[in-house]
This record gives sequence, structure tokens and C-alpha cells, in this order.
Amino acid sequence: MEAALQEKLKGLMASKLSREMRLYLDTCARCGICIEACHAYASMPETRYTAVARAETIRRLFRRYFKAEGRLLPGLGETIELDDAALEKVHETAYTCTGCRRCMTYCPFGIDTQMIQGIAKLLLIGADREPKLLTMLADMSIAKGETIRDTKGAFEQAVRNLEAEVIEKWRGEAGREAIPVGVKGADVLYVALAGKHSIIPAAAIMNAAGEKWSLSYFEAVNFGAFVGNPEKTREISRRIIDEATELGVREVAICECGTAYRVMKHQTGRHPFEVISFVDLMERYLRDGRIRVDRAKLDGSRVTYHDPCQMARNGGVIEEPRRVLRELAGDFVEMRPNRGENWCCGGGGGLVAMGEKDFRMKSARVKAEQVRATGATVLATACENCHTQLSDLNEHYGMGVRVAFLSQLVADALVQA
Amino acid sequence: MADTIYFLILVPMVYLAAAVFVVGIVGRVARILASPPHGSTLRIFPARRASGLRALADTFLMPQARKHTPVFWVFLMLFHLAFLLLILGHLDLIPGVGLMPADSPHMLGGGAVGVAVTLAILYFLLRRMQGPVREISTLGDYLLLLLLLFLALTGGMISWANSWNQANGGFVISKQDFGAYLASLLRFDFASPRDLLPGSHYIVVVIHVFLANLFLMVFPFTKIIHTFFAMPLNRLRRG
Repeated sequence: MEAALQEKLKGLMASKLSREMRLYLDTCARCGICIEACHAYASMPETRYTAVARAETIRRLFRRYFKAEGRLLPGLGETIELDDAALEKVHETAYTCTGCRRCMTYCPFGIDTQMIQGIAKLLLIGADREPKLLTMLADMSIAKGETIRDTKGAFEQAVRNLEAEVIEKWRGEAGREAIPVGVKGADVLYVALAGKHSIIPAAAIMNAAGEKWSLSYFEAVNFGAFVGNPEKTREISRRIIDEATELGVREVAICECGTAYRVMKHQTGRHPFEVISFVDLMERYLRDGRIRVDRAKLDGSRVTYHDPCQMARNGGVIEEPRRVLRELAGDFVEMRPNRGENWCCGGGGGLVAMGEKDFRMKSARVKAEQVRATGATVLATACENCHTQLSDLNEHYGMGVRVAFLSQLVADALVQA
Repeated sequence: MADTIYFLILVPMVYLAAAVFVVGIVGRVARILASPPHGSTLRIFPARRASGLRALADTFLMPQARKHTPVFWVFLMLFHLAFLLLILGHLDLIPGVGLMPADSPHMLGGGAVGVAVTLAILYFLLRRMQGPVREISTLGDYLLLLLLLFLALTGGMISWANSWNQANGGFVISKQDFGAYLASLLRFDFASPRDLLPGSHYIVVVIHVFLANLFLMVFPFTKIIHTFFAMPLNRLRRG
């Protein structure tokens, strides 16, 4: 590796050394309690898939270049040089970790492996070795923000083409748009994904609740976070923040996308509006009696719920989806473990977008077994990545379930007044 | 020659070790505090009330370890509790501290805490030498455990050897003798330790102090630093 590149990578590493990061890097006792925490290790018991081994790669680089003891005593075997071989190792640790943070529930210190992998991802970007697809998708999101004035018309036309399908699910008031866009002073700005599955059920539900809402011009997903680029992550979030501020909305509801929700809710600071998940909104409508659902729609179905890691353990949306499901289904069963300790589906951290199907299927065997043990016929979730991964697992392992978004189940069960 | 080396270990090296310990820890904490804060929450959910108390419980009771590795947890608790008692027992040797009755010839714990620490370290060592924990272990992990093991063993030997003379009404090196040595260190009078510690197992005391000095000197630069960082880390997790 050229000296200039090595210096650049050391600089990038230094940029990530916050107070908290230093604590995480300084403290691991290598006690091994976290070994069993990772779904990848539980499915394929190889040491490289443990949280401690993943973090150790970064720790060894940290010790080598940022700690006196690493510079003075590299021979103790706890340091590695920043070279091509190290970067290969860094790539493996970064993109076999879904960033689910389940290991934090095992570690006696609560060390955040995902945050440590943030260094790994940034090093790969600096060395031009990150998954190019993720960078391209992040760039496309940013470009959409820059060219929105030119593309607004086309977007609004595409939305108009979906309205008939929304009306099929819910007959709204005559003369009222089924999918309102650019509504100043709306109570809710709904940020969807680029796909009608993320727009139609949500639109039907909000129309049924009589909500004053507006559809965002932007998609919620943040590929900047997946690829670990802090600037792109901020830029992608900023488009939505600017839009919400300009419209003067009271709340921004993020669609069923775990990473989008966590980034916007917990990682973008304070705003003049509240950030909620669409699951929160559905639960509120049901609780306030603004929408009613027909339980008969799920008669004969046993329903279980997969807590998306970024929504539940890392986002705090835990009881709301359960309250929604109890309204919908007579036979709701929990998978074990659940809530903050749920097994990751194995699709996070950009893996679904990258493809990586072979690894995703092998590393999530434990998830398939967990779902199968519930005896459920409907597997609900509230995250796009999880939905894709669970659908792939369903096919691969023959789980025999119908994988459904929570919003889809609610929209299908709406009772017309 | 040997007496000079023993003196260097028992007096100047103790001061050096204490200085490295204090300066090392202060430096490490200062380096962390000088770094910019992360800026957003690193907590995990579900959120619970009294997060500060829960972080305290996470730090001192290690419920995560109890849940996932119960046998390891028993030894972890045993080790940490016994180690704490050992620290208190050593401080109690300083004249005037008085945790144990003045007329008691025994150290706090009466030797049992030393045995407990030794057993826990042996368990840690055996656990580290097998299965996946072996694969994540480094040379430094073993060296630290061996340092602790020999520190505990020499401490136990001193305790045991001292009791040889118990039948004749007293310990070979009494608590008062150790107290005089520690008081001398605190007075910085550079008195000869040999004059204060009369036992024939003096060499074991020298080795014990040497290992303790090493322990103090590596403390700030190794994972033992978790002693100070466990609580702030658990606060981050609890939010």
C-alpha cells in the first residue's frame, strides 16, 4: 500500500475517534460472552463471525497507529499493519456484520460493534474498496435532492397513476386527492420508499384516518448509512429535513424502513417537527378509533412479528406493532427471543441491496428456525430490508409463511365506515 | 547485590509503579475527554426507567453475563468481589486504617479471599484455553492472567508461610511488620525493607511486590482499564 494512501486512511480513522469510540476501542476484555450473540455465528460457528473478532480487526489497527503501547510493543500480537491484507480483513468484517447491535445485549460493557464497523466502512471508502452499488445508490438519492425542481412534475404524475389503487383500498372523500403531495401545513409528511408497496397501503390508512398528510418527494432509505459515509448520510437526511421544514409539517412519519427510521429519529439532531415511524401512526389511529379493522381478514392465520433491529432494539418501536397486531389477529404469537433480543434477519447493513444471497441465507439459518418454531402462517414485519430477507429465507428454507408488511395487513383489513 | 535489587523492587519501583498507574490513567481519561462527543444516542431499547441505576447494576452485577454464561458469571463475581476485598485487606495493613480488629493477626478475609481469587483466575485461564474463546485470545490475555495468577499465588504463599509460626504465638511477618513497611513507603524515608520484614520467606514478598508493581504499571495500558470505563460504557447503552 502506498504511504500516501496509508496516511489518508489513518486520517479517516482519526476522524471517527469520538469520545465514545475511544471507550469502545479501549475496553474489550475479550471475555467472549458476545460470541453466541451474532446470528451469523449461531448459523455458521466460525470465529470470524463473532462480534469480538470483527471489532478486534479495527482494534488492532487502532492500537498500531493511535496507542503508545501498540507503537512500542507491536510484537505482543495485538496490532496489525494497515496494508492490503488488512483491508481485505476489514471488508470481510464490515460486510458480514448487519449492524444489528444484538451483541450489545450480551456484552458486559455494551460495546457497540456497529459503531466500530463504521471505521471499517470508512476505511473501505477511503481505499475505494467499498461496495460501489451502495455508493451509487447513495449518490442517486443525493442527486434527486439536487434536481428536484426539474423532476417534481414527473414524480407527481407517477403518483397520480397510483391513486386508483389507493381508492380501491379506501374510498376517500370526493374531490380529495388520494395521494396528496407538497401540502403546506400538513400534519404528517409521509416519507415512503421508491415503490408503490410503500405508498398505497399507507395512503389508504392515512385517508381512512382523515389525516391531513403529504407524501414526501424523497425516498426514506439512506444508502449513505449502509455504506458508512457520514457526509452522504447527512446529505440524504437533509433533503427530507428541508422539505419538512419548508412545508411546516408537525410530524415526519418514516415508512417501514428500519435504517431510515433510526437515522432520522436518533441521528439527525433536533428539528421543528417530530419524527415517528409509520407503525406509531397506525397504532395511534387504532387507539384513537380513527380507523377500524376487520379481524376476520386474518381468521385462521397464526401471526408472528419479526422486530426489525433498527426499529426495535436500535429505534425503540417495540410495543406499538404488537398493539396493532393484537387488533388485527386473534392468534398472535411471539417468536423467541423477541423485542430487544430478537435475532437479526440477516439482511441489514446493506447486504440485501448488495445481493450476497448465499451468505445471507447461510448466516440466517437461526432466523428461519426461530420463525418455524412459532408455527405461524403469517410473518409480519415493519422494515423493507427485513421483508426482502425474510421472503428470501421463506423460499430458501421452505418456512411456509406469508411475509407481510404491517401496513399491508392493516390496509387490507380497513373497515369502510 | 541481591539486597540492592530487593530494595529497588520494594521501594523505588513501588513509587515508579504508582506514578505510572496514576499518570497513565489520568492520561488515558484525559485523551478520551479531549475527543469530540459522538453527538447522537448509542442506547439500545426497550427503554427502562432509572437508566442510571440500571447502568450501575450492569456494571457491578453483570446481568448480561449471568444470563448468557452463568458459570462464567459466578467466577466473574467471585473474582471481582474477592479482588476488591484483597485491595481493602492490603489497605488495612496501613497503620490506623483499622478495618480488622487491632488484635487480629489476620488480614481481611483471613486468606480465603486469596484462594477465591486464585480459583477464579484458574477458571478464567482454563476457559480461555478452549473452544471459541481460545480463538479470540491474544498473547496479552494469557500474560495478564498469568501475572494475576502468580500475584495471587505469591500472596497466598506469604499468607500461608506467615501462619507457620502461629503455634508459637505469632506470625513470621506480622501485620504490624507489613504496616511498618507501608508506613515507611508513605513517609518516603527509604528505610531498608529487610529491617522491617524479618521472615525467611522475604524473597516471596519481594516477588509479590514486583508482580504487583508490574500489575500497576500495565493497568492503564491494557484491558484492565475496564475498571474505570465499564460504568460510562453502560451509561451509553442504557441512555
